[in-house]
Formats: sequence, C-alpha cells, structure tokens
Amino acid sequence: METITPKKEWSAAIRLNHWLRVICISFLIITGLYIAEPYTIEKGWTGEKMFMAEVRFWHIFFGMSIGLLFIWRFYLSFFSRFHADWQDFLAWTNWTNVKQELRFYFLLSKEPPEAKYLFDPLQSLSYLGFMVMLFGLILTGTIMMGAGYDQGLTALVYRIVKPVEIWIGGLATIRWIHHIMMWGVILFMAIHVNMAFLHDYLFKEGTVSSMISGTLFHRSHK
Amino acid sequence: METEGDAYRRKVKTQYRELLSHCQENLDRMEGELPKPRVNLHEELTSQGISRRDFIKWTSVTTALLMLPPVFKPLVARAAEQFSRLPVVWLHFAECTGCSEALLRTSYPNVDSILLDTISLEYHETLMAAAGHQAEQNLEKALADFNGKFICVVEGALPRGLDGKYLTLGPKGKTGIALAREVTSKAAAVICIGSCASFGNVQAAKPNPTDAASIGWALKIQTVNIAGCPPNPANFVGTVLHYLLFGGLPALDSLGRPIWAYRMRIHDYCERRPHYDAAEYVEEWGDMAAAKGWCLYKMGCKGPYTYGNCGKVRFNDAVSWPIMAGHGCMGCTEPGFWDTMAPLEKPIDEKTLGGGEKTIDTLGVTLLGATLAGIGAHAGLMAVKHRDKLHIYETSHKE
Ligand code: SF4
Repeated sequence: METITPKKEWSAAIRLNHWLRVICISFLIITGLYIAEPYTIEKGWTGEKMFMAEVRFWHIFFGMSIGLLFIWRFYLSFFSRFHADWQDFLAWTNWTNVKQELRFYFLLSKEPPEAKYLFDPLQSLSYLGFMVMLFGLILTGTIMMGAGYDQGLTALVYRIVKPVEIWIGGLATIRWIHHIMMWGVILFMAIHVNMAFLHDYLFKEGTVSSMISGTLFHRSHK
Repeated sequence: METEGDAYRRKVKTQYRELLSHCQENLDRMEGELPKPRVNLHEELTSQGISRRDFIKWTSVTTALLMLPPVFKPLVARAAEQFSRLPVVWLHFAECTGCSEALLRTSYPNVDSILLDTISLEYHETLMAAAGHQAEQNLEKALADFNGKFICVVEGALPRGLDGKYLTLGPKGKTGIALAREVTSKAAAVICIGSCASFGNVQAAKPNPTDAASIGWALKIQTVNIAGCPPNPANFVGTVLHYLLFGGLPALDSLGRPIWAYRMRIHDYCERRPHYDAAEYVEEWGDMAAAKGWCLYKMGCKGPYTYGNCGKVRFNDAVSWPIMAGHGCMGCTEPGFWDTMAPLEKPIDEKTLGGGEKTIDTLGVTLLGATLAGIGAHAGLMAVKHRDKLHIYETSHKE
C-alpha cells in the first residue's frame, strides 16, 4: 500500500525569492545581450531616443534588485526560521552520496541517493556554483555600474569594489568575465529546469509545483 | 543668518587661500634653491610666434585642467617660468621613443611643447649630443650635482629576463634594471611617460618573452604614471607644474596615474556619447552612421573601459583626438591593454578564444545546444530505466 505524505519543503520567503530571481535573471539576460551587441535605432532624433540609456537603466535596476535578493537569500540560508539551509549547499561533501547519485544518473542504479539533505549532492554543487556566479556577476556588475559616476549610492559602492577592478586588471577584463558568467548562468538554468522536470516525472512527488505551493508529496511503500 | 551654503563657501575660500599661500611660499623656496633658468620663457615664446595673450589663455586652460580656481592663474604662469630650472634626467628603456617624438615634434608648437623644449635636460638618450663615455660622464655629473633634487623621467619598460640582459646600454653595458635602480634612487620623483614605463605595454604583452615589466613593478617603487601610447603632453606638463606649484606630486589613483587627468573614463567625456545612449552606432567603416559621427561602440571602441582625459584635452594643440577622427578608443592608458582590450576593432565579447575564430558566444551557444541535447537524451534513458516504477504509479492512480 502506498502512502503519500505532504511535507512543507520551501518557506514562502524562499519561494518568493526564487521567482523574483527568475524574473530578474530573465530581464538581465535580455537587456545584457542587447548591451553587449546593440542594434542601431535608425529612426528619430538623437535627443529623443535614449534607447540604450533606458536598456542600461533597466539592466542596472534588475541588477540592483538581484543584488538585494541575493543578500536576502544569503540571510535566509543562515537565519531562516523555517529552515536555515546553508549546510544543504554542502551536500556534495558527502562522498558516498555523490557516488550513489552518479550511479543513479548513469543508469547503474535505480535507487536515488539517500535524502539526508534538502538537495542531492550534485544539485547542491550546482547551486553553490550558481550562487558563486551570481555573486561574481553582481560584483562585476557593480564595478561597471559605478565606474564614472561621482555621486549617490553607485559612487559609494564603487569605492568599495574598485580594488577588485584593479586586482583583476581593468574594466575590460571585468566586462569579459561578466559576459562569460552570464553564459554560466544560462547553462545552469537549462540544466536546473530540466532536472526539476525530470524529478517531477520520475518520482511524481510534485517537484515543479513545490516551488509554488511549498509542498512536496513524499511517497512511501509499506 | 548664515546659511549652510555660505558656510561652505567660506570654508572653501579659506582652504583656497591657505593653498595659495602655500604655493607662493613653495615657489619662493624653489626659486632660491634651483639653478638659474636656462632660457627666458617669454623670449622663447615670442620667437616661436606665441603672443603674450596666447600664453595667458594657456594659463587659464592649464589652471582649469589642474582643477584649480582662476585665482591660481598668476601662480601657474610663475611656475611655467620656472619650468626650465627643474633638472631632469630622461631615461629610455624598452620602447619605441614614440613618446619623446610625440611630445617634442608637434606640428604647431604650443605652450606645452615649448615648455618641454625648454626643459633642463641633464641627460636624454635620444636628444643629447654626447655619446659613449662622455654621455656616461654627463649622467654621473647630473646625479652628483642634483642628488635628490632632479626629476627622473622614464620612457620604456624594463625587461627582467636573463637578469635584465635583454636590455643593456651605455659604454659599460649596464642592464636597464641596474641603471634604472641607480638613477631612480637618487631622484626627487620618478615620472613614467607612456604606457611602457607605466604598465609594461606591448613589451609586457603576452607571451612577454623578455619578462618586461613597468618601472614601478620591476623596481618596486612608487612612480607617477602618465599613461597613454603616447600620452598627452599636457598631462606631463601639468604634473611637473603641480610639482613646482605645490612642492609635491599630485594625488594619484590606485594605478599611479594623476587623478586630475585620469579620473574619468573616455566614455564619460566623449562627444559621441549622446549617440551611444540613443542607440546610434557605426556598423561598418565609412557607412552613413560614420558620416554622421555616431558612436563607435560596435567598431570596438574601448572608451567605456579606459580612464583618461583625451577627449577633453585632445592632441596636437587640441585639433583632434582618436574618437573625433573616427576610430574607437583602444584603451592605451590601461594596464595590459594589448591583451585585455583585444580585439581592438570589435566589442570585447567578440574576443576570439585560443587563436581561432570562436568567440565566447559561439562557445556558449554550442554548450547550450549540447546540454539541451544531452539532458533530453538522458531524460529519455532515465524514463526507460524507471518505467516499472512509473507503471506502478499509474496503476496505483487507477485504484
Ligand atoms: S565612441 Fe566610444 S567612448 Fe564615445 S560614446 Fe561611443 S563607446 Fe563611448
């Protein structure tokens, strides 16, 4: 007999943060690609177009938003009252679990690794990598945003991040790294979405909808 | 009632008054200490066809350039008159001598270049008449006479490979590093002219066979870096004037460039910037957009990554500068620009990987395609492998 037990997996804060980041990242990729390879707007008078300026405005707007969301997510992973999940990002340090998961994904075993943590080992590794990339993107983005501005928050933040610019070797390299990491995020998203769907399909526990409802339905056979 | 604005203005005024008296004292002291002027600047200017009026105009411009208020104009003029009294030793290392050429050979002599002509060069490897042992003696004499007082201007990077033997010079075959160490240790200040001395430039570009490095990096000393390939004479003259005025070097940014000149990016001053913001780009050399003077971003302009005042000061008596002439900035005031700014006529994200035709975007799209194909196939295999389980779910659903 199979029993299905609903279990709250994600707090409302995590879910909200997740979807806001999805929105931000989507807009950032679109506007970012335009900034990297803009196309000319032929029609109209120069003084009235300001298209690039506006695209840059929204890019910076979503960039700052994702910066705040990142800080919020960082805070939650340590101080969430529902479940502070910073240890789950380190699930890949459990070597037996990693081996079991590799066997599972290489079709050598039907048993998924033991669910000790919130994330599977490989999942945790990719999430950690994603977080590092996100941090890198925010940092390099902040540097490019602050360059050349004298006043306001941007100038203040720029003063803090300027040493990173010098250390890495100038704005051109910063821009290049920013572009490479964007591709990293795109690849991450492709894999992440696919894995969520695959898990949903294989285990029928409602993986995809859990990011909306917060609930995962655990199946157990007795 | 005194408003906040009044208080602020009063504070600024006091500060400037203090600064002014400091400058005056300093100039008095310098005039006492330094050797007699070599030339009378005003005679020199007249003989080159520059009127008193032009000179006054130049002082206004230079005062503004140094970010000083107009009350400093007479002092800037006074410092310019003292220019030829400052002893200078000018060294050349691994470079093309293009900076000297650019500074000294202007088509219309302006006050900046005339000032440079009058400079009291105790030793300049390109310009001096002496050669061999005689030249060496001149250098030794200058070092002894003006120990701790002269300005050492350096052009060119220092090759460090083979113990510095990639570059030897003079009758005694000294290595560049040894000579640089000897001279800079006795100088009052070291000013690096051009990107080679400042950051290593093309000598230090990959693969850097001679292990060349900038003066500051090779000798581990603080230098004033007048970056650029070549730099603007105004930036060098301004820095020396600052030294004469204040008795010290100007404030430097973290790469050793004077802040008054290298504070903002080319992109921030650029006259084509409105076209950048309006999404009006030159797509091809010589197209209609180029004729209209639109932004050169897509033609690989590196103005957004480059700190400098080229657009404000311009070159050759403010006639023009690269972006005005229709080619994008190539970022020559930034460290390692041959490597970091490549490709010079395409945006950064079209940098090719590993010497081929591939860019990061082709790589990204390929990887994305491969990932999508791979995960699709994998999902199919997983579904086949786990079909029995899926079957159970379906039957249990029916129950
Ligand atoms: S031409 Fe270059 S510096 Fe000028 S606005 Fe365009 S990108 Fe910026």
